[in-house]
Amino acid sequence: MSRKYKEKLLTKYILEQKENYYRLAYSYVKNPDDALDIVQESIYKAMLALESLDDQVKIKSWFYRIVVNTALDFLRKQKKVTVLEEEKLDMLSAGQEDAYTDLDLELALEHLPTKYKQVIILRYFEDLKIEEVADILEENVNTIKTRLYRALNLLRNNLNTGQAQGVKG
Amino acid sequence: MDKELEELKQRYDEIPIPAELDVVVQQALKRSTPKRRRMNWLTGAAASALLLTTLVNTTPTIAQSLAGVPLIGSVIELITFREFVVDEGTYQANIQVPALRNLDNKLLESTLNEKYLAENKQLYEQFMAEMENIKVGGGGYLGIDSGYEIKTDTEQILAIGRYVVNTVGSSSTTFTYDTIDKQNELLITLPSLFKDEGYVKTISDNIKQQMREQMQTNGEKVYWVTDAGLEEEALIDTFESIAPAQNFYINADHKLVISFDKYEVAPGYMGVIEFVIPTEIIANDLVSHEYIK
Repeated sequence: MSRKYKEKLLTKYILEQKENYYRLAYSYVKNPDDALDIVQESIYKAMLALESLDDQVKIKSWFYRIVVNTALDFLRKQKKVTVLEEEKLDMLSAGQEDAYTDLDLELALEHLPTKYKQVIILRYFEDLKIEEVADILEENVNTIKTRLYRALNLLRNNLNTGQAQGVKG
Repeated sequence: MDKELEELKQRYDEIPIPAELDVVVQQALKRSTPKRRRMNWLTGAAASALLLTTLVNTTPTIAQSLAGVPLIGSVIELITFREFVVDEGTYQANIQVPALRNLDNKLLESTLNEKYLAENKQLYEQFMAEMENIKVGGGGYLGIDSGYEIKTDTEQILAIGRYVVNTVGSSSTTFTYDTIDKQNELLITLPSLFKDEGYVKTISDNIKQQMREQMQTNGEKVYWVTDAGLEEEALIDTFESIAPAQNFYINADHKLVISFDKYEVAPGYMGVIEFVIPTEIIANDLVSHEYIK
């Protein structure tokens, strides 16, 4: 596979899926500016590392992996924990019942450790196959299956305690 | 659980896509610019102000990531709220917008923060407009560097100095200050320190005296002031008086410091100039010795 061909293929993927990559980056950093920076940096990194890619089938999960790693690097540097968005703050002040449910639900996800959160996002929100998730996170398929199972359990637990305590501040 | 996951996925899909994404992706693919030009203004001043008041004031985690500087003896913090960077060859802009956090006096906090944001936004927009003009005219150099420094940080006083350095051929520098009483969370203005307007003359006279003394003892110093041995042709626009709201701050020794921008009262090589006013000179004019000792 020539570099030119790989570059063409990667460009095509990026242009088609840029919104997915952006949302994925956003799910880690929770603000538009940093998410845009991560998308940008991921593209640079991918273009630089293109030589090392030898299997065109994997180009999709390969780029996902770069986005995930760039986002994780960013978080490590920033040492961010959880960040509430504006809209959620508005909900907090507006005090609507159904809004709280959404907030609980999202907080339950946010409170998961990153390694569990990201399998849920990749598998269910990005609609990737277990094999692809494994490829992106550089783990074997069984590890991802176990992790997904645990992630769902944890999420369920978070939701139940959230409702039991009535997380309404 | 399926219902919850579906709902979560829906929320995920609703993450808004910023209009900039296309440009960012295109530019990155072309590898044309090493740094993304950070145009962080969402939609004009209103949105920015909203962002500022809601995010900086109410979500500590956001501001934490922005290099917070906790100040002595208080929970008040000064952070870099936004940065605007243009890095395009001969066009260079580096604008850092400060913001205060954790003041109980929210009115003061938001007034200052909104001022910082609005003024820097204006700088940035001017820069972008000038850059386009210069590009149309065949190219050239344009640079702006704006930021802030903490001039004083004591138990009682916080003085923030904000500078703007314009570089078009030669450079010009301006400094503006905000002096805050940290204990009472008040913004201190120059007139508020004095009983009446008499201070303008008292301080002006003292500065002229200091200018003349400095010129006598140090041959390299030059101020645009009369009776200091300058030839008459040089005395076109001499320093006569400070403005009632002249740039000032209070330093850590409780002394009043009066500041002049580059070129304002002296040749350019003298840069930004500060005069420390001896407290005994203004003792009779001061309302109290609360701040100035």
